[in-house]
Amino acid sequence: MTKEEIIEKVNPLLAEEFEVEESEITPDAVIKDALELDSLSLVDLVAVIEHTFKVKIPAADLPTVKTFEDLYNYIESHQA
Amino acid sequence: MPQRDPIVMVDKIYDAEGDTAHTGLTVKAQNYFIEEDGRMAEPGLIEHIAQSASAFKGHQALVAGEPLPIGYIGEVKKFHCYVRPAVGDELTTTIVLGAEVNGVTLMTGEVHCGETLVADTQMKIFVE
Repeated sequence: MTKEEIIEKVNPLLAEEFEVEESEITPDAVIKDALELDSLSLVDLVAVIEHTFKVKIPAADLPTVKTFEDLYNYIESHQA
Repeated sequence: MPQRDPIVMVDKIYDAEGDTAHTGLTVKAQNYFIEEDGRMAEPGLIEHIAQSASAFKGHQALVAGEPLPIGYIGEVKKFHCYVRPAVGDELTTTIVLGAEVNGVTLMTGEVHCGETLVADTQMKIFVE
């Protein structure tokens, strides 16, 4: 899957899952702020990405995934 | 999740492998959640599923030689109760653990009584 395809899939997926406007999801936006994540809903983000893209996100890697750009790159570089 | 008298809502672990476990509960007359009509109140099923997940995590800790964790229900989502179990019913519950982040584990639980689907839900349990 190309990065563009990843973006086209991630944005509407997260907008629906976390009930935010897709316009909130921009490459430089901080994920926790844009999706209003807390410690409980953070696991939903990991679960929906793991389920959709079959990409495992160890907790240790989470600090490196701050913005949506980081997320797109993480998915792209960790695809099977 | 106390798993102590008077709120003991799991009395069997049938199997536990990988991310899936099966637990059991015989519904007794003195069960904390039995109401006047002789059936279990819905919160009892939530407690049963949560304690099943906690028992599964406890089993994983025992197998790994780690201290037994204490579990808390963090969030209950999409809970459905299709049938309130009656005294004498044998409940069998399937727990599937999902993503885990910083001690918060996502899980799904499905309760059956024989072939009948009794309840299902998604939960987050916090284990410390």
